[in-house]
Amino acid sequence: MGTVYVTQEDAYIGKVDESLNIKADKKTVLDVPLIKVDGLVIMGRANISPAAISELISRKIPITYLNVNGKYLASIEPDMGKNIFVRNAQWKAAGESAQAVHLTQGFVRGKLKNYRQSLLLAQRRYDLDLNSGITQLSNAIASLEQAKSINSLRGYEGAGSAAYFGCFNQLIRVDNFSFSTRNRRPPTDTVNSLLSLGYSLLRHDIQGALNMVGFDPYLGYLHTERYGRPSLALDLMEEFRPLIVDAVVLAAINRRMLAPKDFITEPVSGAVSLTKEGLHLFLRLYQEKKLSKFKHPVMQKQYTYQESFEIQGRFLAKYLLGEIDKYPPLVMK
Amino acid sequence: MKNTEYIQIAALNQYAYCSHRCWRMFCAGEFTDNQYTIEGTALHDRVHTTGDIDKEDTWQIRAIYLKSEKYKLIGKSDLIEVVSGEYYPIEYKRGRKGEWDNDELQVCAQALCLEEMTGQNINIGYIYYAHSHQRQLVEINQELRDSAIATIAAVTNLLETGTMPPPSYSKRCKGCSLYSQCLPKAFDKLRNYQEAN
Ligand code: SF4
Repeated sequence: MGTVYVTQEDAYIGKVDESLNIKADKKTVLDVPLIKVDGLVIMGRANISPAAISELISRKIPITYLNVNGKYLASIEPDMGKNIFVRNAQWKAAGESAQAVHLTQGFVRGKLKNYRQSLLLAQRRYDLDLNSGITQLSNAIASLEQAKSINSLRGYEGAGSAAYFGCFNQLIRVDNFSFSTRNRRPPTDTVNSLLSLGYSLLRHDIQGALNMVGFDPYLGYLHTERYGRPSLALDLMEEFRPLIVDAVVLAAINRRMLAPKDFITEPVSGAVSLTKEGLHLFLRLYQEKKLSKFKHPVMQKQYTYQESFEIQGRFLAKYLLGEIDKYPPLVMK
Repeated sequence: MKNTEYIQIAALNQYAYCSHRCWRMFCAGEFTDNQYTIEGTALHDRVHTTGDIDKEDTWQIRAIYLKSEKYKLIGKSDLIEVVSGEYYPIEYKRGRKGEWDNDELQVCAQALCLEEMTGQNINIGYIYYAHSHQRQLVEINQELRDSAIATIAAVTNLLETGTMPPPSYSKRCKGCSLYSQCLPKAFDKLRNYQEAN
């Protein structure tokens, strides 16, 4: 089951026996055994009973609040961070330490390699010419090794991402959607609104995994401290962005599961978001992707993407604690 | 840091099973229930509920605290029996006799506490295996004492320094409730790993 998303504005989330029970208009819309739930995301104004909150917390299930457009508001995290050793190692590596540089390089390399891989696949699949983007990505990846400072790594990350998003419109194979450049806060076109929503969901999941491992999600290396920003979650997210979110967004568009009629545009601000039906569909696709299995290249075993969030978090802890001498980002062939 | 804390008898058992597991549980504060630990806890709940009862000439005392100042040990006993004035500890275990002898160590540590608390010499203890309803005699001999004392020293050192013993993959990992946190194969897997280019 994984994460339960509640999108109904005035839904009531309660606990009935060993189940999470969600009612709307006095009728049960979902009744799911707690044992199958590992996250609860409340989008909008749903109510939750104190009994349900305390049951979820005692089962170490995080509750996240997003606004209707998927913007992160707050979360109730169970206390799992007793692992002071992990936090201590995380803080010790802060700044420009060799470990921070190595990790940042790993996050960026993972992301750029996965970007390049999706361009290579699309080039073959749709018979496109994406060579210039692919070359720019290869150059950025090659430069990462020489980079000695986190700032220069950020530079290559920016160049690589620009090259990838420069090709993104060609990955869209239908004519009622198009992409010109990445914009956010608020996203003002359909594709950007999907990407932003997807990244927000992913961030919630990665933050949960990091919390489970014992990290402080607010101290990162590539993303540095800024008030209220879960920097480490943003760091670890990098390698997963193309694998999960971009893949779901492109599938939803190219398989014509979403159409322009599934979006609404706010007056004046121009902010674009999904309709209720569109949102349900997107959440379902995201969830399916998370629960799909793949062979983890390091562990050589089948895992779901959801499980792989925690595995990468465990690698991160092992690297910082000196148990392994390099951090292997999740790089797909 | 000077050790002013007591160490839990249960930590000895865990240490003898796997030092990395002991570190995760008692230093890093990780504990996950799996089927085994849940059954174990349920079994203990039952054992711990009854208080003390007299059974003919055997005096049974359940669920009392054990403590040793000399070894800085603290723990709880499942059952202590007193037969003709002689005390001995009995430790309850789910399942059958294990492949590992860490349970004997735990009984020995209980005996060390009891000796200090009663002033008597304790020469025997038992492990009760719930699965087979069998009691197994544990001889508290010098060899076992030495190994318990050595383990106490090792655990004391572990708790004082917090230094993580690296995980190492072995047969014991199979039934370990911390497997998915520990990923004991990661080190070797990573050594053979070549990232896609
Ligand atoms: S999985 Fe193996 S190495 Fe890791 S804690 Fe358990 S027994 Fe020890």
